[in-house]
Amino acid sequence: MKKSIKSISIFLIFVTTIYAASGQNKPRYQLPHFDKVQLPNGLVIYFMEKHDVPIISLDAIVPAGAINDGEQAGLASLTGTCLKCGTKSFTKKEIEERFDFLGADLNTYASIDNAGLSTKFAAKDKDTLLPMIKEMLVNPVFSEEDFGKEKKLALIGLDQAKESPGAVIHAYWNRFFYGKNIYGNVVSGTVSSLTPLNANDARNFYKKYYNPAGSAISIVGDFKTGKMKAILTKLFSEWKKTPPVTRAVYHPEAVPGNARILLVNKDDALETTLYIGGAGITRNNPDYLAVQVINTFFGGKFTSWMNNELRIKSGLTYGAGSYFDYNQKTGSFIISTHTANATTQATIDKALEVINRLHTQAIDEETLNSAKNYMIGMSPPQYQTTDQLAGLLVLMFWYGFDESYINNFEANVNAVTVAKANEIIAKYFPKNNLQFVLIGKASEIKPIAEKYGKVTVVELKDDIGKDF
Amino acid sequence: MKALNICIFIFLISCPKVNAQLKASDVKSFTLKNGMKFLVMEDNSIPNANMYLFFKVGSRNEHNGITGISHFFEHMMFNGAKKYGHNQLDRVEEFNGGTNNAYTTENITAYTDWFPASKLELLFDIESDRMANLAFDTAIIESERGVVHSEWRTDFENSPWEPLSEAVNATAFEQHPYHWPVLGYETDILNWRKSDLEKYFKTYYAPNNCVAVITGNVTFAEVERLAKQYMEPIPAQPPPPLVHNVEPPQNGERRVMVQRSVTTPYLMISYHVPATRDSDYYALDVLNQVLSNGHSSRLYASLVDQQQLATDIGTGMAYSFDPFTFNIYAQCSDSIKATALEKAIYIELDKIKKDGITEDELQKVKNIKLMNFYSQVETINGKSGTIGNYEVFFGGYKKMFDASAEYNKVTVADVQRVANKYFKKSNRTVGILQTNVED
Repeated sequence: MKKSIKSISIFLIFVTTIYAASGQNKPRYQLPHFDKVQLPNGLVIYFMEKHDVPIISLDAIVPAGAINDGEQAGLASLTGTCLKCGTKSFTKKEIEERFDFLGADLNTYASIDNAGLSTKFAAKDKDTLLPMIKEMLVNPVFSEEDFGKEKKLALIGLDQAKESPGAVIHAYWNRFFYGKNIYGNVVSGTVSSLTPLNANDARNFYKKYYNPAGSAISIVGDFKTGKMKAILTKLFSEWKKTPPVTRAVYHPEAVPGNARILLVNKDDALETTLYIGGAGITRNNPDYLAVQVINTFFGGKFTSWMNNELRIKSGLTYGAGSYFDYNQKTGSFIISTHTANATTQATIDKALEVINRLHTQAIDEETLNSAKNYMIGMSPPQYQTTDQLAGLLVLMFWYGFDESYINNFEANVNAVTVAKANEIIAKYFPKNNLQFVLIGKASEIKPIAEKYGKVTVVELKDDIGKDF
Repeated sequence: MKALNICIFIFLISCPKVNAQLKASDVKSFTLKNGMKFLVMEDNSIPNANMYLFFKVGSRNEHNGITGISHFFEHMMFNGAKKYGHNQLDRVEEFNGGTNNAYTTENITAYTDWFPASKLELLFDIESDRMANLAFDTAIIESERGVVHSEWRTDFENSPWEPLSEAVNATAFEQHPYHWPVLGYETDILNWRKSDLEKYFKTYYAPNNCVAVITGNVTFAEVERLAKQYMEPIPAQPPPPLVHNVEPPQNGERRVMVQRSVTTPYLMISYHVPATRDSDYYALDVLNQVLSNGHSSRLYASLVDQQQLATDIGTGMAYSFDPFTFNIYAQCSDSIKATALEKAIYIELDKIKKDGITEDELQKVKNIKLMNFYSQVETINGKSGTIGNYEVFFGGYKKMFDASAEYNKVTVADVQRVANKYFKKSNRTVGILQTNVED
């Protein structure tokens, strides 16, 4: 592959809309019409018709993410996974066989602050599958046997994931950056936290956090809204509202007062996998879009400053990029790359030089325009499919933005002036007291790491959950 | 919002909801005088378009000493030509709201451009510039060598499947160039010369070795006019040399061990199977889906869920010009030996060899294929990719419209027949990657 920079793909998922090419007389694309209802139990449901292909996508989002894990790291994730492991009316085998037979996709999961279900199926199969989908969200049983199997897979999965530094560096980053804040919880858990969990823990977690109030479902595809409203209203009215729960409180993380480095030792590392970053923004920040414009030329596209210096001009790495990783209540800013052990220092120095340049060099119109054109031009393909649109609708619910984000996207992107760009850089792009996570061979790179701040060394084989 | 007007290909005749049925004749095709073929699909659902260029060159066209050069060449295609110099191609494309990528396999190298449809002419200018006048600057070659070396390193660092599949292919193929990995040997990565690249360019990057697919908010007439203006002046070259190596039939099981520090052993089993164009392809693909698609599939349900011998299992069969392999991949569960998992896999394969699959399983695969097809035609990129793959690997894009009939023709007896024909002990190569290889 020529390039597959993580930051670019993440960027495209969130910063996208549908537009006519600039300067052309082609009709501007607006977010298609959708309906929204709220059931008496508090559940919000979005309906969007799309008839070009006979399929339907449905997404559910529930406030049951890993920030609620407390001392039981990994419980939200296992609970989310086990939604599809059997319900009052359907066994796990029946669910799997039915979805597989019909060629349907099904995924249930938990992330850091939400949990959910995603599915895509042929429109003709809606009467068969919608009741099953309802059951998974409303009546999961969490049998000891199935929970035990998933827990066993999750435990081995923790060690298997560490065979790929790129797969685990984000978990280290969150733990290191957010610390004991609830956003520092390790979503997949640790060996010591998963081991004592049982099915009853999942049942209790479900009862407490899977509440229709605060949750949303989106359905997009080949159906008639009127009929679909009747079907989903009937099905999901069965979801009983539960009393509000006392949740773990989010206390904003302290702004780092000094540069810190977490060095995760991997004795047989061929390369250093690294993050450099600092504080970020939430999705509902009014400057969100302007921040994305700046990040696009800084580290969000192939010819960005970061990739240009680290890859195109120097050949230090296969890829380098940056992105704002946001959650509902907080966020961080991350520069991500990897390089050979021997070029670790050259790569870090070059990345720091690019950060410094962002804060010292005047931004010119051409740089800004390239980022704007790129964002506008690349957005239409991001909302072509039923699953893309269903995903957008639940994210709108979760992060509290609306269709004006889509419909005014081009105008708002173009409204970022050079003066505004400079303000945004000074306000949102970390410059001092940067935080680093390096996964690599400590015996070779620890002396290098020490040049940038206070170093803490941990072993890759140990649990992520330790205090750093 | 403008009314959507996406047509869909008719896939299974029983499908009731297809609003507009696209026929093979709706993919318009023309061939320039220099032999470059174009396939065009008009789609005004979004104001964008794409251009996919498939060059029939991959690691199967290499030899010892220049392994991986097809992939390296893929990188060099972004490093400057006559009009658009180093870094200009990407800069200009991104400035105009577009982006690009590329990938290399054993068989082909594909270049993918995505852009606002209004920029179609610019893309013709860029693509014709690099096809006609690629530059070979020594300093840039060295810098890009560092990038490719980093790509090689990060693949090995992050995936135990890389060293394992490399060892298995090197064992399964003794004479055919599928023997070496697409990324090449590290020592070749460090030693390609500029002259190797120049020779490669002239031989393989000729218009007569390329198929272009364009889908999006463009018109056929516009594409044809621009193709004639920009691409037709590029001279054709003599056809590239044929890959004459044929892998002899395997006449006994081969086994290979690889050491790497991992949680539990990794297992890969490869059976030689025919090229994609072979008539057994569809029955083998049904077998592929029945074995591993979804948690109710034969291998997942038995080995991961019921017996808990594996943490994950998959099967796959890549598109290929020459006979390649049907692969089974599995990771052992805690405290399970690779040989125990291997034996359990053979028990599942033997059940199909002895009793075949069920009619329900066959219908399931047809349903899966229909859903896959819907996903492919939901996007302009899915359309270009699918059209290109059928054109290159199946013997023509029109085969795409025969696919439903081909899958419908497959019977449970066919699946049993191909299982018995190819899943033989003497036809397999088994690779195991684990921490301890000394005991």
